[in-house]
Amino acid sequence: MIWEVFRQEEQGEYHTHCGNVHAPDREMAKQFAAIQHGRRKPTNNLWVVPKTEIGELDGDEYAFGGATDKSYRWATGYDVTADDASEVVESSGEQEDAKERRNEVV
Amino acid sequence: MSGFDSSADLDDEQATALESLLLRLADDEFVLAERYTEWQVRAPSLESDLALSNNAQDELGHARLWYDVLEDLGHEEHELIYERDPDEWRHSTLTERPFDEGDWADVVLRHYLYDVAEQLRLESLAESSYAKIADRVGKVRSEEQYHREHAESWMERLADGDEGHERLQNAVDRLFPHALTLFEVAAPTSGTGDASGDEPRAVDDDLEETIVEAGFRDASLEALRAEWLSIVVPYLEDLDLETPVSEIVHYDDYDLEVPDDTLPEALGRDGTHTDAWAKLHEEFTHTYRELERSEATTIMAHPE
Repeated sequence: MIWEVFRQEEQGEYHTHCGNVHAPDREMAKQFAAIQHGRRKPTNNLWVVPKTEIGELDGDEYAFGGATDKSYRWATGYDVTADDASEVVESSGEQEDAKERRNEVV
Repeated sequence: MSGFDSSADLDDEQATALESLLLRLADDEFVLAERYTEWQVRAPSLESDLALSNNAQDELGHARLWYDVLEDLGHEEHELIYERDPDEWRHSTLTERPFDEGDWADVVLRHYLYDVAEQLRLESLAESSYAKIADRVGKVRSEEQYHREHAESWMERLADGDEGHERLQNAVDRLFPHALTLFEVAAPTSGTGDASGDEPRAVDDDLEETIVEAGFRDASLEALRAEWLSIVVPYLEDLDLETPVSEIVHYDDYDLEVPDDTLPEALGRDGTHTDAWAKLHEEFTHTYRELERSEATTIMAHPE
């Protein structure tokens, strides 16, 4: 059977899929994975997972997000005029004045 | 016991004993690795092929570490590997036996019997009075742990099926006697002591005594053998595999007795080898001779 192998390079990092091994059981899968995926690249930890245990969801079955244009959420998505800019400058100037009045270092 | 920081601190007898100890170590690893590499691209699966190749590579690395220590005693690697007379090699016959064609059980059993012995041997060298040996044991041991686990995984899985079990039993019948030679006393090489150089050397119990007395190794071959038997015999029995060893029970204690005629004719350690050795030696020295080489190729300046 096929075991998918996930490698974690450093403690605290995510395990990243790095390949697979053929093995009859978990123990052998771990031993083979150690040689094939843990010897040449820096490795802190390996996972072996039976391929059949992985749940798979395909783009044909479900409309994944991430493709919609969400540029309206970002200021760079707008045309900024000089007038808008002066308002911003004014506003941040007022903030600084307020801080000075409170004797805070700007 | 005082330690030896360099070969200059050794007397002649100690130097001969150290050489003997190192040759056993290095030759075992080198010859076994040579045999393992025959399985490359032929193992039962890509994964098992890579795992065994990995072990072969480890063993070659270990051999190089030990041949490098032998350089302290005036040897050179290319001379030891490619120019030494085949009768001067001191490996156990277990490592030189050819595989039964396509018999994965053969390599698995050999791998198991060898790596248990190797672990015990390394333990007995961890506190070696010869500083360079003790320094290098740590690296070697970390890799041998994997070897043993790998061998046991295969042993248990092969023994679980009818055909696998039968093949393993055949391998035990063939190889167990040769594995016993791992613990045989070695004969000094012809270049040492009062040797004439022509006659085969007699095994030398004094040599073995010096190895232990000087603290190069802290267990005798006899003790290592007893410990090895106490691990491998019950393990094989648990897998329903029969060995020539019988249990002698005294009350709540027991001894393992190996019949005297179990040892093979050629012991390896004394310079006598099985027929297979000449051909293997011819093979791995062939290219060196054909290319008229006079040195060994190294990538790193030091093998560590």
